[in-house]
Amino acid sequence: MPPEVGAAGLPATRRRMPPWLATAALLLPSYAWLTLAVLLPLTAMFVFSFLHATPLGNKPVVWTLEQYRAFHDQPYLLGVAWTSLAIGLWTTGICAVVGFAAALALVRATAGRTRETLLILVLLPFWTNGLVRVFSWTMVIREGGFLDVFVRWFWPSAPSLGFLYTTPAIVLGLVHGYLPYMVLTCYIALLSIDDAVIEAAQSLGARWWTVLFKILVPLAAPGLVTGAILIFVPVIGAFMEPRILGGRVGVTMGTVIEDQFTQAFNWPLGSALAFTMLAVVLAVFATFSGVLRRSAAT
Amino acid sequence: MSGVDVTGVAKSYGATRVLTDITQSFESGTFTSLLGPSGSGKTTLLRIVAGFVAPDEGSVRIAGADVTGVPVYARNIGMVFQSYALFPHMSVAANVGFGLGRRGIRGKAARAQVEEALEMVRLPGFGARHPKQLSGGQQQRVALARAIVIRPDVLLLDEPLSALDRRLRQEMQVELLRIQRESGLTTIFVTHDQEEALTLSDKVAILDRGRIVQMGRPAEVYERPRTKFAAEFLGDANFLTGIVRAGRVEIAGAAIATEDRLPPDGATVTLAVRPEKIAIRPADAAGSGALENSLPATVASVIYTGTALTYMLRSGDLSLKVFAQNSDGSPLAEGSAVVLSWAARHSVSVEG
Amino acid sequence: MTSLARIFLGLVLVFLYLPIVVMAAMGFNASPLYALPFDFSTHWYEELAGNGRLIEAGWNSIWLAVLTAVIATALGTLAALALWRRTFRGRAILRILLLPPIAIPWLITGTAMLVFFFWTGIGRGLHAMLIGHVALAIPYVVLVVGTGLQTLRADLEEAAMSLGSTPIHAFFRVTLPLLMPSIVGAALFAFAVSLDQFVISYFLSVPGMTTLPVEIYSAIRKGFTPEINAISTILLVASMIVILGFARFARPGGIGERS
Ligand SMILES: Nc1ncnc2c1ncn2[C@@H]1O[C@H](COP(=O)(O)OP(=O)(O)O)[C@@H](O)[C@H]1O
Ligand SMILES: [Mg+2]
Repeated sequence: MPPEVGAAGLPATRRRMPPWLATAALLLPSYAWLTLAVLLPLTAMFVFSFLHATPLGNKPVVWTLEQYRAFHDQPYLLGVAWTSLAIGLWTTGICAVVGFAAALALVRATAGRTRETLLILVLLPFWTNGLVRVFSWTMVIREGGFLDVFVRWFWPSAPSLGFLYTTPAIVLGLVHGYLPYMVLTCYIALLSIDDAVIEAAQSLGARWWTVLFKILVPLAAPGLVTGAILIFVPVIGAFMEPRILGGRVGVTMGTVIEDQFTQAFNWPLGSALAFTMLAVVLAVFATFSGVLRRSAAT
Repeated sequence: MSGVDVTGVAKSYGATRVLTDITQSFESGTFTSLLGPSGSGKTTLLRIVAGFVAPDEGSVRIAGADVTGVPVYARNIGMVFQSYALFPHMSVAANVGFGLGRRGIRGKAARAQVEEALEMVRLPGFGARHPKQLSGGQQQRVALARAIVIRPDVLLLDEPLSALDRRLRQEMQVELLRIQRESGLTTIFVTHDQEEALTLSDKVAILDRGRIVQMGRPAEVYERPRTKFAAEFLGDANFLTGIVRAGRVEIAGAAIATEDRLPPDGATVTLAVRPEKIAIRPADAAGSGALENSLPATVASVIYTGTALTYMLRSGDLSLKVFAQNSDGSPLAEGSAVVLSWAARHSVSVEG
Repeated sequence: MTSLARIFLGLVLVFLYLPIVVMAAMGFNASPLYALPFDFSTHWYEELAGNGRLIEAGWNSIWLAVLTAVIATALGTLAALALWRRTFRGRAILRILLLPPIAIPWLITGTAMLVFFFWTGIGRGLHAMLIGHVALAIPYVVLVVGTGLQTLRADLEEAAMSLGSTPIHAFFRVTLPLLMPSIVGAALFAFAVSLDQFVISYFLSVPGMTTLPVEIYSAIRKGFTPEINAISTILLVASMIVILGFARFARPGGIGERS
């Protein structure tokens, strides 16, 4: 019981904090932390990208735009960028097809507890260690790995199917890593489609492919687009998957940037490449947020 | 003695003026309905009395004490929310006992009062249940019990019945009235349903764009509306606007009599006449002559609803509406000439 | 059609779990070269128990995850209360500012932290990782708790106040108990985010002060034995348990109330 007691045994009025002060006090810890750990570092990195060389020791500080000319000065980077883009598009495309189909199967062919359990099973790997999951693929696709053992079970003299250290291996690992995102976003989008809409289409003579491409895909488009963004963005920044599954062929923008920070110690170049990539990411966001807003409006 | 006094209360949100100079007493022990269309400021006024909203100007007194600067929790009020707002993680008994606990009443004494309150809302023995296990109507009763068990100085209800279906709503209206009568609590009840307001209330206050335009007993407000808005919002009305001439009002060539005091000759006034107060007869039938006012008109259309008839009529460029009992089963034909008549005391002079 | 869909779902699940199962099984295979036939043995787990480096990295990971969960949940819950229960100018912008840590590739965030922490003298090591992990976890906590607050009707608190609760009492008696599932869920989520975080830790680690994922990565790159399978299996099972706990608490239609 509070010591001061007002009318009818109720607590008495106390002086209250002004509301803006309370709001600020609630927000300050989190946003101060985010500023220190994310916003200031990004700013610092932006500044670094205009330096001539990493300011180690007592080298003079020279400002330059040369780092942003890297694609012009080092043409091999264009090839690397193309590889990264191709990996990103393949991964996103495969995830979109498989993820949409899986979500559709979940929504239309399962119900109740079964559906809930299956959804959790699909999403569960996503929240486990990505590194470990990438590592686990090496057990399967290396020469003499599980895949080969499995095939030779039926056909003892089969040649090795192992494809570790190839670009498809990288895509495979990335699809494995990001597929659950697409299943989740498509699942949410498909769940909100009223059964009556589908029945209406069928009553008007639509066959299953018409229902799929004229009703389900357009209505679930926000889910597909969200999923595609959530996958494409981290995938083009991936460096651990290409290193482990790609070996020597696994040179991507991600690994090149990583190298600048951990091997070459060319932080300005690494920063400039990272910001170029960030610009691409923001452009992707900007392009598709328009699409999303439009589809949300209708 | 006065239950709640609101004096000179005004409230704006940014540039929108929500309440303008509200001064009103809610007498102790009476059931008052705040009636007005959506957006007229009913909820805001109720929340100012509760203490959730601070008025820009004016003061609020509850049971004689000025509570304008007192926060909600230190005012002794009971409130029933439209969504019931029962605490889902507490049993019914814990819900009802919550306010008692805040007032230092616990244990046996609290249990007895909780049970008494549950009996009052006809849910004896429901204490151990959880809100989720109750129907909408039962949750509503628990919300009511929770609000009255603390014997508040005023009971505030914001459209508490609007979430219920029609039958349950009528049932709850009866219950609410009984409980209010038994407990004798000063009650302020917000609604936009005129029928609900008329059946339940000792007093009805009509809100129009942030002002209380009239307050009184339901019959008073209905029979003698003070403004055009009040006449129209509570029931139906014909408005006749004309010029005062020799103690009468000249409209469409006729001189209409009223018992209300009229401004001097030449002034423009509006009279409101309820459609059910007007008698209708064919032009060639003999009149009784007992009614002071008569007006020739033509039937424009008839709406047949079984027990009653609604005539839409024209008299010059005036449109009128008349409700009639369907007593002889043969409504007057469209286009027929009729005479309308009504008593002088049913011509009520209203403000624009 | 329905059975076809179920078969397809089954194949997706096989795709998702097959490599994990193979990887875990190899941790119980006696051969150091992953040779088959399978010869069950707990040898690699015994070996693991004597591997000081991995054990230490494991403890680092756990402590880091615990601290991250505690700090991020405390700070994030406060921010969520402001962002979802109060109206003020700039609220929309503050909500958007939660997105960069989630949306920007970790490679970029991680290298930016590396640069900035070096520049300011914060340096690298477990303390730097803690700063980074908490920053990554805060947005998730705010969003999870915020979602919980959104489904919690504001009029419950008003009802408590109308019955005589001060705002603080109403918060502790009504809001907090109803929000608890979301808060516990958010804490588990933050724990999992930190436990599985590799990229940020990788850039901020120094030899002798690493976490398990960083140790596993360097082992994978330098050559490894099924010991790595053993520790990976343990890490995987731990994350799965934590995330199932999260799903139990924060799942829609759970204890969190909506009517
Ligand atoms: N918190 C608020 N902020 C801004 N405008 C408000 C707020 N509360 C109410 N209003 C405005 O005040 C007017 C009256 O609202 P209200 O009191 O809820 O009316 P009623 O309950 O009669 O429907 C409305 O126009 C509404 O938009
Ligand atoms: Mg209202």
